[in-house]
Amino acid sequence: MSGGQGGDGATGEAAREEATGETAREEATGDDAGVAAAGDDVPVDDFHETDARPPTVAVVASLAAAGVAATAALVASPVGGALLGAAALAFLGGSLRNSTRVLTWGAAVGVVGLAVAGYRGAPAEALLVAVVGLTVAWNVADHGVGLGEQVGRGARVRRNVAVHGGASLLVGAVAAGLVYGVSLAVGGGQPVAALALLLAGGIALISALR
Amino acid sequence: MSDSRGDGIAAGAASTDGDSTEGKSADPTEGKSGNSTETESADAPTDREHRREVATDRWVGIAGAALALVGLGVLVRQPSLVLAGAVGVGYGVYARTGEAPTPTLAVTRSVSDESPAPGDEVRVTVRAENVGGTALPDLRLVDGVPPGLAVVDGPARVATALRPGTAVTFEYAVRAARGDHDWEPLTAITRDAAGARERTSALDAPTAIACTPELSAGGDLPLRGLTTLHHGRVPTDVGGAGVEFHATREYRRGDPLKRIDWNRRARTGELSTVELREERSATVVLLVDSRDSAYVAADPDAETAVEASVAAAGQAFSALLDGGDRVGIAALSPLDCWLPPGSGTVHAARGRETLATDPALAPTPSDDRFYRSLWLRRFRRRLPADAQVLFFTPLVDDTAATLARRIDAHGHLVTVLSPDPTTSETVGQRLATFERRQRLRTLRSAGIRAVEWGDDSFPVAVAAATRRWSR
Repeated sequence: MSGGQGGDGATGEAAREEATGETAREEATGDDAGVAAAGDDVPVDDFHETDARPPTVAVVASLAAAGVAATAALVASPVGGALLGAAALAFLGGSLRNSTRVLTWGAAVGVVGLAVAGYRGAPAEALLVAVVGLTVAWNVADHGVGLGEQVGRGARVRRNVAVHGGASLLVGAVAAGLVYGVSLAVGGGQPVAALALLLAGGIALISALR
Repeated sequence: MSDSRGDGIAAGAASTDGDSTEGKSADPTEGKSGNSTETESADAPTDREHRREVATDRWVGIAGAALALVGLGVLVRQPSLVLAGAVGVGYGVYARTGEAPTPTLAVTRSVSDESPAPGDEVRVTVRAENVGGTALPDLRLVDGVPPGLAVVDGPARVATALRPGTAVTFEYAVRAARGDHDWEPLTAITRDAAGARERTSALDAPTAIACTPELSAGGDLPLRGLTTLHHGRVPTDVGGAGVEFHATREYRRGDPLKRIDWNRRARTGELSTVELREERSATVVLLVDSRDSAYVAADPDAETAVEASVAAAGQAFSALLDGGDRVGIAALSPLDCWLPPGSGTVHAARGRETLATDPALAPTPSDDRFYRSLWLRRFRRRLPADAQVLFFTPLVDDTAATLARRIDAHGHLVTVLSPDPTTSETVGQRLATFERRQRLRTLRSAGIRAVEWGDDSFPVAVAAATRRWSR
């Protein structure tokens, strides 16, 4: 009834808010190493099993990948690099707020950043690194939010995140290597439309095989 | 990293990088003492119940974004954009190829103590081995901790990836609470490598612990004047043999010589006889309020009013039984719970068992509906005519107060013993406190004795309250 459960809700909410605020402060001020250290002092005293924030390892891995993507784009175009940086911030914010919607918006901003960098004439190598980095960053951050919901922040997840992030990095690397190799093989002088048609042919082939 | 604490807990995993898998040969329970028990043999896959399989829709839009990059590349004649788009297409293909694997796991769960005392920490070790032929790139395990037990250390969850033949071990601690507790099935969630499809299964690995508290005798619990004809310790208003002075009356032939008031005889010359207060035993039924509404506590981690009531009922039970009274137990609950009044050592054991493990007094509320008039009819039919009732209730709704008055009105003297679950931080909480106090006041003005206890222990509160009571 009112007495017990009223206190229940109020205290729980306050504690949760405090914890979130604390982490946000720590992670916002620190660089990657700082964030990693912040995860270590999880309050053991008031242990609550359902801490639904994403695990720190996922947040850190996502930020690292996003940082690589932003650096690669920055080499070619400052505006594109800045947009990818904004995407990295969105990934951090989405992770802290457990919001996949924010993550999706971040990914959308990142794609726009890629388009701007490409439009400004970024070299293919830098753009390939940026696109793989962006995808891995979004993928790991989104995975982290899902993990937070299902197993919570305190659980052991390192191997899971490593396998998931590694697999997506591998897929990106193979795809990038493949298209880069093909573009080298067919020669740099081909018109762009020919490349696009080649890609369309590839897609048609894959969907026919499936 | 965040999972460093989890690694520290999983001492059994003993791998240097602190991560979750181990070889097939390593048995985490090997070094443990004999009191840990395995629930089933390791190699047969655990019974699996399929719950659901869904698409996670994580990758929705990737193909669109990729093709948009390709289109832009064609428009602005930038081959690098086409290449970037092609990588995106590659991810789109990756997201579409996988199928959520079916987990074929052999799950064993062991507990450090199968019959702990209340408040003990029980360490639970869960080991899941992938005995199927397929790798599980993304496996999340959530253990089905019994609802009455609180996890106090290490989440009962893990996320990992398992090749065929490898196993994951995780360990956590629960705080034992009164009652029988059965573990629910372990939930296993698997995803494909890209995380596009998700399958939820339940793996049944039965484990149970039983936690039976010792009954400690509380202080002297004063009963009301409704007694049986048997000799006991409750002072009555009946004159006869006893120790305490009751009245004097005219001498009748046959009165024992030692009860004649010789002082009066010397003073007035009349013969009179001293009557002493007879002491008789009582029949008491301990009634514990365990309806849904009684499961309240002052803060989320505190023990509920039902726990406090049951603990106090346990103290009253042994104290009354020691005093020679006949004691029974009943629950004000949707589930049926009735131990008829009795005495003796067998009855004491039965009462301890009832208070500890009866489903009606479980640490978590039952889902059934409570019908007040049906319950009252059944309770009155069972209640012996000379029984008085000790009613343990937090008094958080009017039903409890009304029932106390109705039982009292039917001639079974009621004493209300009320653990205080209220706090006074918010206006709503203060209102609830006030309402409860008002109910207590109404009960007292209706002639029903009431004791409430909050932070101080039950015997202290009883001792403090008894000073005010007349017989």
